[in-house]
Order: sequence, then structure tokens, then C-alpha cells
Amino acid sequence: MTGPIVSPERPARGRICLLARRAALRVGGGVLVLFAAATLTFAALHLTPGDPVTAILGGPSADPTPETIAAARREYGLDRPLPVQYGLYIARLAQGNLGQSFSQHMPVLAVLRTQAPPTLELMLAALALAWILALASVLLTARRGPAGAVASVIETIGAGLPQFWLGILLLWALAFELRLFPPAGNAGPLSLVLPALSLAIPLGGFIAQVTRESFDLALDQPFILSARARGLGDRAVRLRHALRHALLPGISLSAWAIGALVGNAVPIETIFSRKGLGRELFLAVATHDMPLVTGIVLFIAVIYILAGLAADTLYVLVDPRMKAPRS
Amino acid sequence: MPTSATRLAPQTPPSGRRAPRTVRYATILTAAALVAGTGGCRRHAPRQDAQTPVQGGTLVYATDREPICLDPHVQGDMPQVFVAGQYLDSLVAMDRSGKILPWLATDWTVSDNGRTYVFHLRHDVTFTDGTPFTAAAVRANLDHVVDPHTQSSTAGGYIRQYAGTDVPDDYTAIVHLKTPYAAFLEVLAQGFLGIESPRALARPRDENCQSPVGSGPFRIVSWDRQNEIVMVRNPAYHWGPPTALHAGPARLDRIEWRFIPEPSVRFAALQAGEVDVIDSLPPEAETPALRNPDLRLLVADRPGNPTNGTLNIRRAPFDDIRVREAFIRSADIDGALASVYFHHYRRAGGPLSPSTPFYSADFEHHADYDPDRARVLLDAAGWTGRNAEGIRTRNGAPLVVHVPLKASLSASERTLWEQVQATARQTGFDLRLENADDTTVNEREGRWDYDVRIGYWNTNTADVLRIVFSSAFLGAAGVAGHHQNESGFSDPAFDTVVNDALLTTDTDRRRALYYRAQAIAASQFLQVTTYPQSTRLAISSAVHDVRLEPSLNVTSLYDSWVTR
Repeated sequence: MTGPIVSPERPARGRICLLARRAALRVGGGVLVLFAAATLTFAALHLTPGDPVTAILGGPSADPTPETIAAARREYGLDRPLPVQYGLYIARLAQGNLGQSFSQHMPVLAVLRTQAPPTLELMLAALALAWILALASVLLTARRGPAGAVASVIETIGAGLPQFWLGILLLWALAFELRLFPPAGNAGPLSLVLPALSLAIPLGGFIAQVTRESFDLALDQPFILSARARGLGDRAVRLRHALRHALLPGISLSAWAIGALVGNAVPIETIFSRKGLGRELFLAVATHDMPLVTGIVLFIAVIYILAGLAADTLYVLVDPRMKAPRS
Repeated sequence: MPTSATRLAPQTPPSGRRAPRTVRYATILTAAALVAGTGGCRRHAPRQDAQTPVQGGTLVYATDREPICLDPHVQGDMPQVFVAGQYLDSLVAMDRSGKILPWLATDWTVSDNGRTYVFHLRHDVTFTDGTPFTAAAVRANLDHVVDPHTQSSTAGGYIRQYAGTDVPDDYTAIVHLKTPYAAFLEVLAQGFLGIESPRALARPRDENCQSPVGSGPFRIVSWDRQNEIVMVRNPAYHWGPPTALHAGPARLDRIEWRFIPEPSVRFAALQAGEVDVIDSLPPEAETPALRNPDLRLLVADRPGNPTNGTLNIRRAPFDDIRVREAFIRSADIDGALASVYFHHYRRAGGPLSPSTPFYSADFEHHADYDPDRARVLLDAAGWTGRNAEGIRTRNGAPLVVHVPLKASLSASERTLWEQVQATARQTGFDLRLENADDTTVNEREGRWDYDVRIGYWNTNTADVLRIVFSSAFLGAAGVAGHHQNESGFSDPAFDTVVNDALLTTDTDRRRALYYRAQAIAASQFLQVTTYPQSTRLAISSAVHDVRLEPSLNVTSLYDSWVTR
């Protein structure tokens, strides 16, 4: 017997199968990640000290009656054994019911709706700025004598700067002293510049470093030599041939960076008094507002998953080799 | 979570993931603010010597903390009453001397037994949703505050005596109390008991939190969480409080009420002209603000029980009055205030803040810094030994004092307690500042698991002494230990004094009784009092007639106008 032969007449079908399998794997993986995030959040909030009923009813001086306390325990299922609480919690989440934030007096979904856009805006602005900084640095200086070495050192320093420190420095220099940007708030694109820069400079340093390395490697490849032999100019070689190769590690890094940006948004949103999920997450943890913490953590997990998907798609677009099915 | 009426309300909200990082930001930001401050102000609204008020315009107000709910009946914390001051009116007003004046109620009578208040109401008041203000509205509001579902912490301390309201006609409200309560009119003057539209109150609690409706000079248009509340003028308004500077509608068209939690960023926003007024001016910005010709300060102490550390007398070592006195006398509060607040905050030495009605200055120095006397007292109490670190010991056990600190405590308050720690150590106390998140600290407080509890209580009546020190506020056993009397002090003689003070409306009699109450509280050494809570505004020179409503020294923008 011969092995299975992919019929040359039906390459399309093989490809669809492959894509479907990939998609199924992705969705399955995504659900698993969400489930794990929900479980970890539940465990973390139950391991920390403090009675959630105290928080629900407004602290120790709120003076609720025993009836009120018992009613709140029943309402939130806190009188059940822990495994039952966990089961109820997962079941509610599976129905898409994120519940009511008791510290904000509003549904968790409504909190996400108002707080997520400014954070997403900040993340995207920071990511775009980081790429602009990184590409400018690499394309202009790679293999160009001492400029490359100097730029590489600057990138390393940039990558090592803590975001909150950079934020305070920018705030002091550009907002307090030079008054070029507003020191606080969410009003208008100008208020986005300093927070986005604080996040973009370290990230740009990282992206530039990995891109520079692969850019260097790409420039040594035989196809670059043959492109040059065909008479292509230096700029065309850099932009059309070498860069395409060099982008891939930076793209993978970006998928990771999106998650990290949400974490770093906590100090940055606080320093610049911006509204957003980072600050909200901090407040929710401080008040043990479990529904809200869960909602924000799951939202961040979804962003992670989507960023992974986007990175995969970009990979295929940038690198044509990824399109061919393995046979 | 700081939720109780005006109680331990941190001046700044939490600002980082962990305390050390918060402290780091705070330090660096403070340094940056100081540099910015000395750099001087380069751009500001041109100064005009305008005398006649200008109609129209927008005022941008920046504050540190965002309310949890805009309806001040729910929970009841200071940020709520600041917003309420712009969109709510009260039945009565209070002036600087503590006198109660008519507002929505034109006059009232109190029955001889002190249990029935008959209020006659204005006929011409309408809420901004079109509902007329009537006696039924008064009933709906008082019923709403005491309804357990409202989750009001004001109800427990302030109108626990409320029994019900009769409405014989539209403009007469007869309020019945279970027991005589002489402080009733005083608490009614507070924004916490502001009158809301009964139609709006009938909606679910969380909806009313988002968009409450009053009859005040402004109405709430929108609340963008973590960003700002927008209010616009109520054009029909002509029932302002008797404490106001003008009559008729507000002069401003619009208020943008922003939240900028970082103190130095808030001050920088004012210097940059991004905002017109800030409150909770940080101590390190006070000197630069005074030197800046484009800024004015408006500072007033709030009445009530001053900022303090309350000693838990239910367990050792503070079950011994000698150790309590020794501890208070070992803390150099004046020195600490001078260094932490740059000489801008004065000491409050007694159980009442000086701006509280019936305050007596006699107790201001009852427990001043006196380390020599502290050492003698400790010897007498049996803490005669010393361990290797210089901490006093008794039967081999060191003299340890546990002080839980909430993550949301302001950086300056934390530094103040570090100074107390340093001076107390010289006398032989091992003061342990124990940092934890707010919920954990709340839980420890509920279990009486502390030696010192940091807090304050703002209210415009000396009846605060009953809330903070009488046995009625020790909390019911088994109810997770909730209590407002944080020291655990329980003395029938003291209870009689503060309860008797509620039975009489005779001013001299009340003064005598509250004097006695202050004397007992001071003689028991129950609190290290530090400084009065205060409202501290910094105002751009383009803004005029910002006023503090005397009942709680809450900002009122009703008279304000801007020139630019």
C-alpha cells in the first residue's frame, strides 16, 4: 500500500482543513486560557485575607444588622462551601454574566465599557510609537558605522528604563517645567502623548534590539547579495528584503508586549490621572471587588488571545513561507 | 473601603500597585513639584481687578477622590458631600457661629418633650426634574436615609432616633423622633442629609447613585468615571441658603468637577491653568502656592473629632491608663507636624476640633509632649526593664504597640506616624506600623485587633463625642464586630452626660454638658489627637467668591464667577 497522497487537483481542500484545524486549536486554547484566568482569580481572591461581605456593605463602620449581613452572604453565595461557590462562579461566567461591581454600584460590563477604551487607546498609541521609534532607529543606523553602535546602546538603555520613572521624568520636564503638555487627564490627543511615550520608549528599545539583530543577520544572507548583484539600491534592499525578514521576532514580541502594556498601565494611568482599566483594576483589588477584578482580568486575557491571533495573521502576511501548507 | 460618614477618609486615593512603589512615586513627584514650584509660574489667566460679578462661564474644579456614589445618603463619605454641596439644598443651614438658619424650611417648632419637630416649608421650590418640593419629599428623604437598603452609614450615627414623618398638608412636615435629639437640626444642615427629588429616589439605588436629582443651584448632567462630573446651572434657582453672598441663579454656566488623585499633578494642573480650583492642596505645595501671586488659598478647619490615633483600651498595654498617658506624652506631635506639614497645620490637642460648637480650649494641652513624665508613668505601670534595643519590658515582654495602616492612607499622614514612632521609641515604645490593604485593616479593626487606630470624624456637632466614645457605639456582639467607638471606652457616667446633652435645646446647659464630656474624654487619654481635618483650596486669581458652606466647610460654587 502507498501512503496518502495529497491530490494535486485538490490543494484548496487541504488548505481549508489546515486552517480549520488551526482555528479550532486557537479557539480551544483561548477558552482554556480564559478558564485558567478565571480560576486563578478566584483562588487569589479567596486566599487573600478580608471578608468580602465587609467590603460589600461598606467597611466596619457601616453598622449593618445581622439580617443585612446574612442577606448579602446569600445574595453573593458566600454562605456555600467553596467548591459550590466556584461552580456557581464558573457557570455564571460561562453565561456571560459578569455580575455587579459592588464598589462602583454598576454592572461590571458597564465599567468595562467606560474604562476599556481609554486604556486600549493608550496601548495602541504606545505600541505604534514603539514601532516607529524602533524602525527609525534600526533602519537609519544598522550597519552604518559608529551610528549603529551608539543607537544600539541607546536602545539598550531605553529598554531598561522603568515606565513609572520615565513617566515622572517626562511629567516633570515636559508638563511641569516646559508646560508643553497637560499634566493630567484624558482630554484630547495632547494628553495622550506623555503616557504613551512613557510606555513606548522601553518597549521601543526591546523591539529595536531584536529587530536590529535579525536585520543584521538578514543583511548577511545570500539573497541580499543576489539582490545587490541585481543592482538594487541600498534603501530598496533594506526596506524590501532585509526588513521583511527582520520584522518577525518584533511581531512575536509585540503580542507579548500588549499584555505587559496593560500591567504597566496601572502606574502610568495613576501618575497621569488618566481614566482606564489599570487604575480601575488597582481600586478593585484594594476593595476586594471580586466581580470587577474578574471582569478586568478576563478582559485582559481576551486581549492577550486576540493579540496572539493578530500576530499569527501578521506573520502570514509578512512571511509568504507561512502560507504554504506543510505536506 | 472608606465608607462611613466622613470617617477615616484618606486624603489621597491609592496610587500604585504596592505601598513601596506608591511611596516612591510620591517622593519623586514631591521633588518634581517642589522644583516646579520654585521654577515659578509662567502662564496664568491675566489678573483683572473685577468688582462686579460676571454671569456665565465654566469653572474647572479638581479634587483628589472620586465619590463612590453621587447620592450622599448612600454610605456617606466626604467626596460625596462636596458634590452634594453643588446640586442639593438642605432643610436648614448653619452659619459660622453654629446658629441654625432657615433654608428649605422657613421655620420650625420643637415640642416640649424634644421628640417632635414641625417644619414649615417654602412653597416655591422645584427639583430639577420638575417635581415640586413638598412635605412628602421631606418624608421620602428621611425614610430613604434610614432604609437599610440605602446602606447609609450616616443613619446609624446621625438619625438613629428617627421614627417617621407625618404630612398634614403639602407644606408642613411633622418629624417624630424615638428619643429627644438636640443635635437633630445640626445634622440636618449637613449635605449628607441633603434633600433629593422623591421621584428620583424611587428609582433603584445604583441608578440614583449615577444621576441623583436635587433642587440646588446646579444639576448633574453626566458622570464620566475616573474623569469628571459635569454640572450645569439650574436657571430656576432662587432659594439659595442664607449664608450665600447673592440671590437668584448661580453665576457660572457650568462646572467640570475633575478627579486628579496625584497631589503634585493636581497642583501642577492648577499652575498650568488647566484647572481653576483645586482642593486637598498638598502640604509641600502650600508655600509655593502662597508665594504665587496668581493663586489664592482658602483654608478652614472642619468641625468634629480631629485626626487622631485612637488607643484600644480593651487589651494590653493600653488597658492601663498610665501607659496610655505615657504613650501620648511620648509623641512629639508639634515637632512632627512642623516637619511633615511645613508649619502649615496646627495642632488639635483636645477631643474636639476648635471649629466644633461647644468646643473648649481648656483641653488643648491636657497631654502635651513630656517624655520625662512618660518615663515616670511607665516605671509606675511596671514597664521597668529595657531590652537590647532600648524597648521597655515588663516581666520580660517588650512594650509593643500595633498600628495597622491602610494602603490608602496619605503619604503625609504615614510620615507623621513614622515621626511618632521615632519619638515614642526614645521613651521605650516599640511602635509597629503595619501596612496592609484597606479590607484587611477594616477586618482587623472589626475584630479589635489593633492598639492604635488612625481616623477622624467630621461633623458639625459636639454630639460626635457620643459617637466616638459612648457605649452605644461599641457595636453589637457577633455582628462582625462593627463599631464606631474605636477605643472601647465604656463609662455610664460619660454616657449619661452625652445622652443628657441631647435632651435639652438650652444652649448654656448643652455647653456645660459638652464641657463635662470633653473633660472626661481628655482625662481618660483615649486618643493621640494630631491636627484638625481641614478644607484646603488653592484658587486661580481668575476665580472669585468661592465660599465654604459653614456646616462642614464644604466648597460651594453657587456664588462663584470667573473673569477671563
